[in-house]
Amino acid sequence: MSSSRTTTPAVEFTSASKTYGSFRALSGLTVSLHPGETVALLGPNGAGKSTSLDLLLGLRNPDPGGTVRLFGTSPRQAVTDGRVGAMLQSGGLMDGVKVRELVALACDLHPRAHPVDRVLADAGLTGIADRMVGKLSGGQEQRVRFALATAGASDLIVLDEPTTGMDVTARQTFWSAMRAQAAQGRTVLFATHYLEEADEVADRVLVLHRGSLLADGSAADIKAMAGTRRVGFTLEALPDARLEAALRALPAVTGADLSGSAVRLRSADADATVHALYGLGLYPRDLEVTGLGLEQAFLTLTQRAEEAGGHTEGPAAPDTGTGHPGPVDKREDKRENKKAATA
Amino acid sequence: MKTLVKLEITRALRNRKFMFFSVIYPPALYLIIAGGADGGNMPGLDIDVALYYMVAMAAFGAMTAVLMGNSERIAKEREQGWVRQLRLTALPGRGYVTAKIASAATVSLPSILLVLLTAALVKGVRLDAWQWAAIALCSWAGSFVFAALGVAIGYLATGDAVRPITMLFYFGLAFLGGLWMPMSSLPDWVQNVGEWLPTHAYTALGQAVEVGEAPHLKDAGLLLGYLVVFAGAAAWFYRKDTRKA
Repeated sequence: MSSSRTTTPAVEFTSASKTYGSFRALSGLTVSLHPGETVALLGPNGAGKSTSLDLLLGLRNPDPGGTVRLFGTSPRQAVTDGRVGAMLQSGGLMDGVKVRELVALACDLHPRAHPVDRVLADAGLTGIADRMVGKLSGGQEQRVRFALATAGASDLIVLDEPTTGMDVTARQTFWSAMRAQAAQGRTVLFATHYLEEADEVADRVLVLHRGSLLADGSAADIKAMAGTRRVGFTLEALPDARLEAALRALPAVTGADLSGSAVRLRSADADATVHALYGLGLYPRDLEVTGLGLEQAFLTLTQRAEEAGGHTEGPAAPDTGTGHPGPVDKREDKRENKKAATA
Repeated sequence: MKTLVKLEITRALRNRKFMFFSVIYPPALYLIIAGGADGGNMPGLDIDVALYYMVAMAAFGAMTAVLMGNSERIAKEREQGWVRQLRLTALPGRGYVTAKIASAATVSLPSILLVLLTAALVKGVRLDAWQWAAIALCSWAGSFVFAALGVAIGYLATGDAVRPITMLFYFGLAFLGGLWMPMSSLPDWVQNVGEWLPTHAYTALGQAVEVGEAPHLKDAGLLLGYLVVFAGAAAWFYRKDTRKA
């Protein structure tokens, strides 16, 4: 068993597409997740995240020609074998039952179930175990969904927007529970809108855009692909229109934000920008060069794809998905984006 | 799977409003229809009116509760996404259908017993002990068929379409199967069709007992056939449901 688990991918999409009428929600996705990885799935609304998860869980079938396999078997078989636990964004809960009863049901249905009390405790539900499910707050409902997803020893845990409706504390508690799951060797795949979560938790980030895989790598890789850094400084005097134009025209600058004498530039090559900045004869004070967060990197990547994609149906990126930084680097940007040096 | 069956029954018992009306409705209808008649036989039949309608209304009431209850509830659960969540467990389709039939049966049993009780107390219907037991059992077991049909309809239809579609089955089956008036008073072609409907077989079980016979094998077989078909279809729909709803 252990040998097959080290060689067989936990999740394997092969040329998986999904079309609804004339709308192509997913086009030729090919990607593999390996056992033990914690993977974040990012993408703007309509990028194909939910469709990917539906195919992965066997809730929908891919269009003919594509396949989705979990641990070398069909998604349905993997679910029946208790190898997958999932928390759906749209997963309604049974009403007219108590929290404990619902969790006990999930445990009963799982072939490799944990004891009910332990599942309740791990999800932080012990205190509200006797409450009716219909009377819970949004965050409490999310914890119940989490309990349903972790009712047994599943090898893969799939979470769709798991922390929606949680406050900051609940979110931190949630992710520490999730890290504990990952530490036990489980493969975790989650879709999220909160990019800092992907940055902090995931070993690997997949960026979907218009149904195709736009980027695949670590959070650091993704930031490097976006190639953006922030150059911030203060000028001695308020810049006039001419100076502002000059600042915007500095090499590698992709955006500028001026408020009074404080200037913040976005740059694809901070070294070149700073060098040229001194070349203008300016004496910037409090000069600071910082890497951008995953959020800005994500926005940069998807915007770029949007522009490059233009009027065509999907982004022009090839869906090789064979490994790391692939698709994005190959695409030459109109803004002559040089690859930024990363720390 | 046992836990789900138990949980569905618990939910049915907790849903007091639905339980109350489902249980009150059949005996009330029985009193309205059979209440005015004093003694006398059904036209063209050798059965007392009070007795005839006792079996018919026990069947009709049970069918109402399970058909309406299941189809609407399931369509709602699909909309809310609970069924999606459930499909991510190892639960097989037959487990789901079994649980839904069990919860429906929880509601139909008291409604049947109440009709029989009303007939005995208010209308003075007198039968042998075995006949009471047999009629109660036949009415209850027969209601499983319509519970399964309710599950299947809950999967065929979504949202606003559920109620009209359920109504169509409900009135069609009740009328054509002779639940409201004896089949013999209906046109020939209706009788020919009606004979093969589950509703006819359903009441025929109880009516055989009324006149002191054992239920006919043909009717029991027909009902069993319908149960297998409806439950099979429901389980299949549950598994194959790839619409988000």
